[in-house]
Amino acid sequence: MGLVESGKLPKPLAKLLNISRKYSIWAYQWGLACCAIEMGAAFASPRYDVMRLGVIPFPASPRQADLVVIAGTVTDKLAPAVVRLYEQMPDPKYVISMGSCANCGGPYWDSYSVTKGVDQLIPVDVYVPGCPPRPEALLEGIILLQERIAHEDMAERWKGGPIVVS
Amino acid sequence: MDQLSSADTETPEEAAPATDDAREAVLAEFTSRLGDGVLGSHIRVGDDLWIRVDRAHWLEAAEVAKSMGYRFFDFLSAIDWLPSPFGRDMDAQEDLVVAGTPAKEPEAIVQGYAGGDTRFQLLARLYSISAGMGITFKCDLPDDDLTAPTWSNVFAGANWHEREAREMFGFSFDGHPNMINMYLPVDFVGNPLRKDFPLLARRVRPWPGIVDVEPMPGVADEEGEGE
Amino acid sequence: MTAVSDPQSVAALVAEANDNRVNLDFETEGMTLNMGPQHPATHGTLRIIARLDGEQVISAEPMCGYMHRGYEKLTEVRTYPQINALINRIDWLGSFANEVPFILAAEKLMDVEAPPRAQWIRTILFEMSRVANISLFLGDFGLQLGGMTAGFYAFRDREWVLNQIESATGGRFHPNFDRIGGLKDDLPKGWIEESHTAMDKLLAFCDEMEDLLVGNEIFQGRTRGIGVIPAEIALSYGLSGANLRASGVDWDLRRDNCPPGLVYDQADWKVWTHPDGDCFARTWVRLQETREAAKIVKQLLDTIPSGPVMAKVPRIIKVPAGEAYVATENPLGEMGYYVVSKGDLVPFRVKIRSASFNNISVLPWVARGAYVPDLISILGSLYFILGDIDR
Ligand code: SF4
Repeated sequence: MGLVESGKLPKPLAKLLNISRKYSIWAYQWGLACCAIEMGAAFASPRYDVMRLGVIPFPASPRQADLVVIAGTVTDKLAPAVVRLYEQMPDPKYVISMGSCANCGGPYWDSYSVTKGVDQLIPVDVYVPGCPPRPEALLEGIILLQERIAHEDMAERWKGGPIVVS
Repeated sequence: MDQLSSADTETPEEAAPATDDAREAVLAEFTSRLGDGVLGSHIRVGDDLWIRVDRAHWLEAAEVAKSMGYRFFDFLSAIDWLPSPFGRDMDAQEDLVVAGTPAKEPEAIVQGYAGGDTRFQLLARLYSISAGMGITFKCDLPDDDLTAPTWSNVFAGANWHEREAREMFGFSFDGHPNMINMYLPVDFVGNPLRKDFPLLARRVRPWPGIVDVEPMPGVADEEGEGE
Repeated sequence: MTAVSDPQSVAALVAEANDNRVNLDFETEGMTLNMGPQHPATHGTLRIIARLDGEQVISAEPMCGYMHRGYEKLTEVRTYPQINALINRIDWLGSFANEVPFILAAEKLMDVEAPPRAQWIRTILFEMSRVANISLFLGDFGLQLGGMTAGFYAFRDREWVLNQIESATGGRFHPNFDRIGGLKDDLPKGWIEESHTAMDKLLAFCDEMEDLLVGNEIFQGRTRGIGVIPAEIALSYGLSGANLRASGVDWDLRRDNCPPGLVYDQADWKVWTHPDGDCFARTWVRLQETREAAKIVKQLLDTIPSGPVMAKVPRIIKVPAGEAYVATENPLGEMGYYVVSKGDLVPFRVKIRSASFNNISVLPWVARGAYVPDLISILGSLYFILGDIDR
C-alpha cells in the first residue's frame, strides 16, 4: 500500500479498491438505546437483511471493524468509552450516527446527562435521522456511506498523518 | 370500568367505603404500633394511603410495615417541594425579564398529601401482596441536616434507591453500606432533581415550543419532538 | 484492562480487594473482571465489575448510569402530552406499555375515564407490546447462551406484532398513541383480522421456542438450578413481573390490582408461576406469559365494543393538584408513576418506578458464588432494559 501513502495511486486501481472496500464493510454495532433494537432489526432480522448490501455485521471487537453505528443516546458518562472505541478501530473507519439522540440529543436535548450529538466526540460520516429511524432508513444510510466510500480519494485521505481525535 | 377512577366522593359507591375501612384499619394498626411517630396521614378512598412519619421513626416505620405484611419494596425516592425557579413556566418568565417585564414571584412551599414542614421529603412505597394495598410513606428532612437512617437492612432493595436519592437530592443515609454514585459521573456538580438545579440547555436556548404555555385556540402541540 | 476511572468505584474496589487472597486453600489471587459498558450480554451499556476467585464470582457490582437520560427531571419541564412522547423511551421494547400507567395516573388525578372502546384497545396494545418485548427476550437469551437461531427467529416473528402496532399507531417502536382520556385514533380497517393472524403466528413462535430453546438440553443445563432467588429475597429487593413469579409468588398486577382503565377482567387468562426461582423458571414463566398475552389479545379483539375512543377532555391539559401512584404490570414487571401535580401544565414531580431497576439490584446478591458463564445466564434471565434501569 505504499502507493496510497505516496499519493500516486492509479485511478482504476483506486476505483477497484474503493469498490471492494465499499462492499465489505465490517460493521461494529454498538447498541446504546432504543435505536439499537432497530439496528438489530436491520442487521439481524431476515426481513431487512443487511448482508445483501455487503455489510458484515458481526465483528467481535472494534479492532476488526470498518464502520461503527452509534445507535442511541450517548451520555456524558459514556462519552469516554465512545471515544475509546473509535480510537481502537483501524483506519479507514467510518461512523454512522443513528437516531436523533446520537445526532443532536433528540428528545433529551435539555437533559443534564446526555451528550448533545456524538459528533462532538468523534467525526460522523452519515447521520440517520429519526426516533428511532426505521431499519430501512439505516439501510439507506449505509448506501449513502457506500457511495461516499466509492468516491473517496484514498490518497487524499491518507496523505497526512493518522486521524487523531482529541 | 364500573369502578370509579378517582374517589372524590360526589357519587357515593357501595364498594368504596369497604376499602376505606380496610385502609383505616391499616392506618390505625400502624399508628398504634409506631406511637407518636406518625405525623400525618391521608386516605384516598379505595385507592391509596399516605403516612408521614417522624424521621426518628423512619427505620422503625419500615420494620413495622414489614411485620404487618408490607413486604414488597416498591421504591424510595424524595420530593423537593420548592416551587421551581427554573420550571417550564419559569422559562417563559425568563423571557419576560428579557423583555423588561417583572417576573412573577415564586410561590410558597406547599406540601402535598399528609402534610409536611420541610422542603425535602422522603417518599417510599411498600406493598402488601396479601392485602393488595400499598402504603406511601413520607418523611420530613430538615434543610440543615439531610440525613435519614437507611432502609437497606430491612429492605435490601432500598440500597440502590437510596444511592439514587443521594445523588439526585444530596441526602445521606446513615448506615448505608455502599454510598457511591449510581448514575452520574463522579465529577458531576449538583443534585439534578433539586428544583433549583437548572437545566442549562434550556437557559442557553429556550425551547421554541414555548408558545403553547398560553392557552391557544387551535392545535396543541401533542407530538413532542423527535417523531 | 479494567480501566476503572471513577475514584469512587476505585475506592469501592480497593475495599473489596483487601482480601486479595480469597481462597485460602489454594492461595489463588483474586481478579477483577470488567464487563462492559460495551458487552454483548448487557443489552447495551450496563457495566459489571466482578471480583473473581478463579471461575467463581465473589462479588459482582453493576455500574449503571451509562444510559441515564434524566427522565425525572425532564418531566418537570414538559407538559403532559409531551411527557407521553418522552416516556415511551424508558422501556424501549414495550413502548406502549410505558405510556399507560402514566396516562392512567393523570386520568386518576383529572377524574376522567377513557371510553370502553379506548380501554379495550389500550389493553390490546398493551399486551401486544408485551408480546413484542418478551419475544425478543426469548431470542436474545438464546443468543447469549450461544443459540443464534433463536435470535433470528425472534427478530423475524416480532415483526408481525410490530406491523400491527405500526398500522394502528403509526410507530413501530414509540407509538405515543395513548392520550389522557382515550386514544389518538381509532383502529384502521381490517386490523382486527390481521391481528388475529399475527397472534397466531406468535403463538406458533412460542411453540417453536419451546422446542428450540426451552426444551433444549444445553439450555436447560445452563439455566436449571442457576441463580436461584427465593421468594423472600425477591420481595425485599422489589423484584416484580416474571422474576417474582418465577420465585413462586403468585402476584400479577393485571389480575390483583388492575387499575381502572384496563380491561383484563374481560378476558380469560392465567397467571403462571414457577416454584424454582432459577434462570430456567424465569424463562419459562416469560414464555407462558407471551402465550397468555397473545390469548388475551385474541379474546379482546373479538369483544371490542363500539363507540368513541376519546372522552371529553380540555384541549390544554391541566391536571388538578394531587398525588397519585399508578402501577401496571409491564413486560418487565411493575412499572409505576408517582405523579405529583400542582395544577399546572407540567407535573411537579414524577417518580418513575421502573421494573428493571429493582430487578437488577438483586444481581450482587444472586451472583455471589456463581461461575462466570452463569453470570450471563443470570443477567439474561433477569431481563432488563437499560433504559428501564437508568431512566
Ligand atoms: S433517537 Fe429516539 S429511538 Fe433512538 S435512542 Fe434516541 S430516544 Fe431512542
